[in-house]
Amino acid sequence: MANSDAGGPLVELRAVRKSFGDNLVLDDIDLAIAPGEAVVVAGPSGSGKSTMLRCINGLEEIDSGSVRFDGRPVDPRSKSIGPMRAEIGMVFQQFNLFPHKTVLENITLAPVKVKGIEPAAAQARARELLETVGIPEKAGASPADLSGGQQQRVAIARALAMDPKLMLFDEPTSALDPEMIREVLDVMRELARGGMTMVVVTHEMGFAREVCDRIVFIDDGRIVEQGPPAEFFAAAKSPRAREFVDKIIHH
Amino acid sequence: MGALFDVLTDNFDELAGGLWVTLRLVGASFAIALVVGTLVAALRIAPSKWLQRLGGVYVETFRNVPLLVLLFISFAGLRRAGVPISNWAAGIGSLGLYTAAYVAEVLRSGVFAVSRGQIEAALSLGFSYGATLRRIVLPQAFRTVIAPLASITIAMIKNSAIVGVSLLALPDLLKEARIVQSRTFQTDEAFFWAAVGYLLITASATIAFRRLERRFAIRR
Repeated sequence: MANSDAGGPLVELRAVRKSFGDNLVLDDIDLAIAPGEAVVVAGPSGSGKSTMLRCINGLEEIDSGSVRFDGRPVDPRSKSIGPMRAEIGMVFQQFNLFPHKTVLENITLAPVKVKGIEPAAAQARARELLETVGIPEKAGASPADLSGGQQQRVAIARALAMDPKLMLFDEPTSALDPEMIREVLDVMRELARGGMTMVVVTHEMGFAREVCDRIVFIDDGRIVEQGPPAEFFAAAKSPRAREFVDKIIHH
Repeated sequence: MGALFDVLTDNFDELAGGLWVTLRLVGASFAIALVVGTLVAALRIAPSKWLQRLGGVYVETFRNVPLLVLLFISFAGLRRAGVPISNWAAGIGSLGLYTAAYVAEVLRSGVFAVSRGQIEAALSLGFSYGATLRRIVLPQAFRTVIAPLASITIAMIKNSAIVGVSLLALPDLLKEARIVQSRTFQTDEAFFWAAVGYLLITASATIAFRRLERRFAIRR
């Protein structure tokens, strides 16, 4: 029985450690994320935020500790990792749309080839999703013909097409021009309102304050502080987090 | 000028027959080069050191031995060893496997042009490593290297001329032109038409590859 249905966390990291060579990037990370929760992971560049996110769907292998999704261990080396990733949507900083496929094909590829959904049904669903992200007219376009904001919205639709239980966002607006950041954040806000469980690595503190249930602040590979955004922004307990908030809010 | 065209019309059946043999030789070798080249490229980027080495040994062997030597080994050498290989099989095999080494190298460079992010996007959607390679990486690699593949193909078409005049004696275009030349002593004319024949094939290949490029090249 799936763990989340029994009231357990959807994602659980325990004592996770990870180094790149001599560089310890994740140092004893404990984190549990409940179904329906929207969590923003914040922290200075190079603090290990993205690495932690990538451990959740096994794009990064951990050195020690454990990562569990829906009660099952996440093991990048096991056969079960493919089907598990199919339940976890991921959105990247650089969009990573497939340039040799149309927008519609980008969205239908995995549902058809990984999940075995009928092409016609997958296409109908893809068009719905394009409607949701606000660019139904781009179904036949090539990714190269889209703006960055449009590409990122297609990338979100592509992830949603797999009907994931969890969405991971790795700095989804960091490669975008300011005027396109909003259109992407709007889509993410709607997702959170719809009850999607999401983990978002971002520097968009406005989004964090307004949308997420909890902020997890990471510095130097450790979770320094976490709590509801109102608390975090008004009265962060640790000096590092206070310094971070000051810089972000008052620059 | 009249003599030039007389040589063509008088010996049309031989020259056209030679062209047809060259076309079949080149077509079959191209198919082998593409299939084997893709497999070797897959070996060279496989997640195992041993498979990578195996691919490397293939490339270095077939790229560093002259085509003519491969033809000798595959025909005379195998026959002496008791393998009853035909001149067709030896010719197509040698030219195809030789060209495959170049195809593998070009494809490998195309694979490296595919960003790590493409692979991660495919993996994160639930594709296995093999399916990611097949559906995302290789199709993009092919589209990236259409132009260098055209160069390799044209080189292969010209290399095919060695096969007929080597001891394999396949009746290809150059071989037939030599037969015409030795019978008529009209050397310049005979080889002129051979050159035209090769030009017809290479020009067609060039046009075909240009079309492919226009249709499939990736805009990034």
